[in-house]
Amino acid sequence: MLSRRTRIALAVLVVASLTFVILDLRGGDGPLSSARSAVSAVTGLLQRGAATVFSPVTSAGDWWTTWRNQAGQISELRAQNEELERAVRESASDRARADALDELLRVATAGRYRVLPAEVIAVGPAQDYAWTVTIDAGSLDGIEREMTVINGQGLVGRVLKVNQTTSTVVLLIDASSAVGGRVATTEEIGIVAGTGRQDSLDFQLLDPLAELVIGDSLVTFGSRGGRPYAPGIPIGEVVDITGTAGQLTRVATVEPFVDVSQLSIVGVVVRPPREDPRDSVLPPREEQQAENDDAANDDAANDDAANDETNDDETVDDGASTEADAP
Amino acid sequence: MIVRQGLVIGVPLLIASIIQVTLLSRLGLPGATPDLLVVTVVAVALAMGPVQGAFAGFLAGAIIDVSPPSDTVVGVNSIVYLAIGFVAGYIVDNRDRTVLGMIAIVGLACAAASLGTAVVDSILGSPRVLWDSVPLITLTSTLYGALLAPAVVPLMEWLTKKLAPEVLLEG
Repeated sequence: MLSRRTRIALAVLVVASLTFVILDLRGGDGPLSSARSAVSAVTGLLQRGAATVFSPVTSAGDWWTTWRNQAGQISELRAQNEELERAVRESASDRARADALDELLRVATAGRYRVLPAEVIAVGPAQDYAWTVTIDAGSLDGIEREMTVINGQGLVGRVLKVNQTTSTVVLLIDASSAVGGRVATTEEIGIVAGTGRQDSLDFQLLDPLAELVIGDSLVTFGSRGGRPYAPGIPIGEVVDITGTAGQLTRVATVEPFVDVSQLSIVGVVVRPPREDPRDSVLPPREEQQAENDDAANDDAANDDAANDETNDDETVDDGASTEADAP
Repeated sequence: MIVRQGLVIGVPLLIASIIQVTLLSRLGLPGATPDLLVVTVVAVALAMGPVQGAFAGFLAGAIIDVSPPSDTVVGVNSIVYLAIGFVAGYIVDNRDRTVLGMIAIVGLACAAASLGTAVVDSILGSPRVLWDSVPLITLTSTLYGALLAPAVVPLMEWLTKKLAPEVLLEG
């Protein structure tokens, strides 16, 4: 049985509680609400302090619950990371391929060549001294022997052998290769022969008296029917001339535009243009820009003259120009 | 048994030739292309003996000469590699072989292959051989061969032990 004191204390507490309830239910800004806000301000502060102090422990509890999943999470993230890295790498190489194709398309459009893009998949060993590569297009894709192979920089070589799904291309710089070349902006022609070295070709002018200066660009002269070499394809730039004008053996060293150590995307010219694109495929040169603008009318006149000589039927030209976007 | 030996020799050579033209020659290393085929030929010779080495050399040369993008005279590499395979198998006594000796013989074989093909090509009238770059090619080929040897030779030995133990020379 409870003592009297106890009963009184209980009764007081119950009454106080009920008073609180009634006061609170009554609403308004009574003394209770101000007391409450004062107290809660203090306890709130205390709680924040305590939370800060205990945070290592509480977060440890958190960490504890995820402990088992962490190994899984790490490996998951690692896999994700690897995948992203691969995507980044691939996008870089995709962009490089897209750029190479863009360049090729620019050349093909400028020269109105119909090209079939292909990729270099194998290169002959250096100790064979033969500059030959395998591309991933063959007779099934419409490749035939003696077709011209180009890329965005210029002439790469010609098709030597054709299999069903691959072809062998002999590069311009191979010692067995010889191309008819023309000095851009002039009518001087000669023979460009490979030396087996990556950075030099020999150019022998047919006319020993012809004028030739360092820095001249060479384009292909073009074979009959466009095989093995279609006309107007940039070959390289004259970097050295040995012998003086008039000498019988006057040979110029030509640096090819195409860097064979970085061949990837190439285009096989499956149909040469109907008219010689002349120098239009050569990349524009800054110092010549103004000159070209001045000489534009002159060039146009020259081209007309050339067309009259080679093409009797002018409607053929119109046909050729509409086909430029076909490939 | 002969067929199985042929496969143990032929399949690695085929793989080596494909790696050589699609990967090693495209790395753009200075000088020669690492001559994985010659290294494999010597590995066969060391594991099985001179006759198998010669056969491997012949096969390797035929593969590289026939498969694209080769434009060399078919058979040139066969002759040179055949000689290398035979000699390597003949002069090296497997019982007192050391790792350094093995590396040296592979390096020498690569040098011999570079020089040999250049000489034979020239004799046959190829316009391509650049004699002033032959020393660099030979030297780098030797180096690359020596680097490949410690990987390829034990692998070939292991393959022989697993698949054609009857011809394995005990080292």
